[in-house]
Amino acid sequence: MGGDGGASAARSGRGLAAWRGSGRGAVRCGAAMTAHSFALPLVLFSAFWGLVGIAAPWFVPKGPNRGVIITMLVTTAVCCYLFWLIAILAQANPLFGPQLKNETIWYVRFLWE
Amino acid sequence: MGSLFRSEEVCLAQLFLQSASAYSCISELGERGLLEFRDLNPKVSPFQRRFVGEVRRCEEMEKTFTFLQQELRAAGRMPGPCPESPRAPVAREALRVQEQSEQLAQELREVTRSRASLRGRLRDVRQYLHVLREGQRFTSLPAPPGSPPRPRALSEREPILDPSLHQHLERKINFVAGVIHPWRVTAFERLLWRACRGYLVASFVEMPEPMEDPATGESITWVIFLISYWGEQIGQKIRKISDCFHCQVYLYPESETSRTDTITRLHGQIQELSVTLEETEKYLAEVLDKVAQALPTWRVQVQKMKAIYLVLNQCSFDVTQKCLIAEVWCPVQDLTQVQDALRQASYQSGSSVECFVQRVPTLESPPTLIRTNKFTAGFQSIVDAYGVASYQEVNPAPYAIITFPFIFAIMFGDVGHGLLMFLFALWMVLYEDSPRLRQGTNEIWLTFFEGRYLILLMGAFSIYTGFIYNECFSKATAIFPSAWSVATMANHSSWSSEYLASHPSLTLDPNVTGVFRGPYPFGIDPIWSLATNHLNFLNSFKMKMSVVLGIVHMGFGVVLGVFNHVHFKQHHRLVLEFLPEIIFLLALFGYLVFLIFYKWIKFSAADSLVAPSILIHFIDMFLFTSNAENLPLYPGQVPVQMVLVLLALASVPVLLLGTPLYQWCRRRLTAGAVPVQSLAMGEQEPLLEGQEAGNSVNATKEDVESGGHSPDAKHLDFAEIFMHQAIHTIEYCLGCVSNTASYLRLWALSLAHAQLSEVLWTMVMRNGFVGLSYVGGVVLVPVFAAFAVLTVAILLVMEGLSAFLHALRLHWVEFQNKFYVGAGYKLCPFAFAPDTWE
Repeated sequence: MGGDGGASAARSGRGLAAWRGSGRGAVRCGAAMTAHSFALPLVLFSAFWGLVGIAAPWFVPKGPNRGVIITMLVTTAVCCYLFWLIAILAQANPLFGPQLKNETIWYVRFLWE
Repeated sequence: MGSLFRSEEVCLAQLFLQSASAYSCISELGERGLLEFRDLNPKVSPFQRRFVGEVRRCEEMEKTFTFLQQELRAAGRMPGPCPESPRAPVAREALRVQEQSEQLAQELREVTRSRASLRGRLRDVRQYLHVLREGQRFTSLPAPPGSPPRPRALSEREPILDPSLHQHLERKINFVAGVIHPWRVTAFERLLWRACRGYLVASFVEMPEPMEDPATGESITWVIFLISYWGEQIGQKIRKISDCFHCQVYLYPESETSRTDTITRLHGQIQELSVTLEETEKYLAEVLDKVAQALPTWRVQVQKMKAIYLVLNQCSFDVTQKCLIAEVWCPVQDLTQVQDALRQASYQSGSSVECFVQRVPTLESPPTLIRTNKFTAGFQSIVDAYGVASYQEVNPAPYAIITFPFIFAIMFGDVGHGLLMFLFALWMVLYEDSPRLRQGTNEIWLTFFEGRYLILLMGAFSIYTGFIYNECFSKATAIFPSAWSVATMANHSSWSSEYLASHPSLTLDPNVTGVFRGPYPFGIDPIWSLATNHLNFLNSFKMKMSVVLGIVHMGFGVVLGVFNHVHFKQHHRLVLEFLPEIIFLLALFGYLVFLIFYKWIKFSAADSLVAPSILIHFIDMFLFTSNAENLPLYPGQVPVQMVLVLLALASVPVLLLGTPLYQWCRRRLTAGAVPVQSLAMGEQEPLLEGQEAGNSVNATKEDVESGGHSPDAKHLDFAEIFMHQAIHTIEYCLGCVSNTASYLRLWALSLAHAQLSEVLWTMVMRNGFVGLSYVGGVVLVPVFAAFAVLTVAILLVMEGLSAFLHALRLHWVEFQNKFYVGAGYKLCPFAFAPDTWE
């Protein structure tokens, strides 16, 4: 798993550099790890899919395919929103944590944070 | 939305066509492709129908065309496709086409025959010439000086006695010259020697150039033989033997001068024959040109004509024998167009009386017509593959446009694989007009090409679900920083390097503050792909996800049934069927969904040791028991559950008995009105013959008729209604349970896909990274090739087909049996489709 940890660590190193510039949220222990809020993504995604599923159908131009396009928009919004919601809710209150190998712990500790 | 939501209104109509303009009317209607003709003479055999003579004539013409096409092919030309689609010819034109085609066929036959005979003669003459020439070598005087040296023969014996010497001998020397197949030479020689005991001298030499064998057409190097013999009987024997061996024997002149004369004469003949042959070939090419030019148009014309006569055969003549009546299924919104076409055709054929169309009422179930464009056609076809929608029932296709690719994507979720699929489909869509793609003959390719929009959407949704599952070729991406902080856990539990070295795996505890920092905003946290217990988490997540999505999908299916009940004005079914069904589903499985969401929200790591098990609660709910170790999720859970179960159980008898009782009561109330109604219906029977629509396995007569208009049109058996409703109830209730479990295949297949791609990565691709030197770089190339091939073959093709199949099953069975009957038949309009000619 060493190579795995190394590869993902390299990727997350890039991710680390990317958001270092965004400075939002609290900074602790010298490493810029931020807490994820639950409300912000909820509001954002609900707004986005609401836009797609509720607002966009009003702007579909009149034509023979209007009904089909509206159906597609609404179905897409419902399906995708529901799927994302399930994913985030399942992780909101975890009952147990990940079990990592000691090599992974060693790399992640010093490379991600 | 019109047509895609439910099928169009189709009516039965009668066309009244005047005999003179009937042909052009049908031709015009065929060009537009609007109506489906019904056969009004089903009991008449094909040989007794009205226009059988014309149909036979068309078939004869087609035979001629086949012959012409064979001749074209034999000459190596391919007849091209017809550039524009000509209309069906009128009688005069058809006659002209027939005459011309027969004339051309006749000419072609004659020309090919004369060419064959010319070729045969030319070959004979050339063979004779060669025989004489080679024979010269053995029988002539020594060559005059200055002539080119002759090549030595291959199988030479001692030179034959010079005939100039023969005057010294008492006996006369005769010759037999000819040509024999090279394989028979040795046998021939041996037999000659044995038969004639040395009273002959035979010599054989190969022909300088190969010639065609008239029997087989192969090019063979013949062997020329020259036998000199003396004695009449020997001569006869030799001739008999050469006959036996199928040799071509030529007259061999004895004197030198006659031989040279013959040679010059033969040269002249060859010259003439070559010239004639050339002329014949040129003429043949001209005839073939004419054929190639005219044939495609003729074929199309005659095919259209035959189709029109076949349709005319289905019409019936009225009493006065002047008017043809045709019964058609016509979409209501096309009636004006049909009238227009008839008017135009009558005008063109110059008749004074106009043909017209008249709508007639019918009790039969009309065919289903759903108009699709190139995008929706693929989705409609996968719905139709299970069963064509009954007349005017709700069509599942517009929802399947999105739910089918979405359910596929749940089982296939991977950004990399989804991207590959999307790009492949995008290529097909962008180049869909190129003739090379359209005219492929490989069936498998055509299947993929027809479903290009389907594959496009499947790929797009797979990219989305891949991001949610956080899998890209089995690797997770950390777009946002991970929610789990290893450092905090390490600091809290003082994991020093020695401690780590002695413990191969350790778990992060979310109870420790700061270890878990809120849910990952989009998808699954990337730390899980590094964890050894990732399946524990993912299995729980995916199973719950499958159950939730399944129940939502099925609930949507039940709700779609409402549109059917409203449209067919069966409002009693809203209360007596839809309401109990939805109560049953929501009280039991909607409650399960609620429990799942509630547990996700309310229970966290703090009470992880005592977290209740939803499954045990659900089972206890049905059995009315309780488990002391399984804590309730919320206060008052037991009475709430009892109420819900009782509600669900109460809805079962309503579903079972509601509709049959209602119909029975209605029949009792309207018993007085029945005799009047049947009289009115009896009149219409002879005109409209019942047609057995193709029923699917699940539908009964009740379904077909309730798909139509009034359910009490025929005398229905109460027992049958009751039985049907009982089956429906059992199917629905048991189906709710088993179908919910069936949706767990979403979990199973996505797990399989994830594991396969992980195995492919660890076993194949990772081995390419072992060497970090230049050599490692070179090794990486074949490793990547293997990885790419296996990815496409196993993960894209095999897993793609598997997920496609399971998504299809979920739609056809679990979703559609909540509302879909599918007992209809398609409207097949009479049209001159371009596919019919190759």
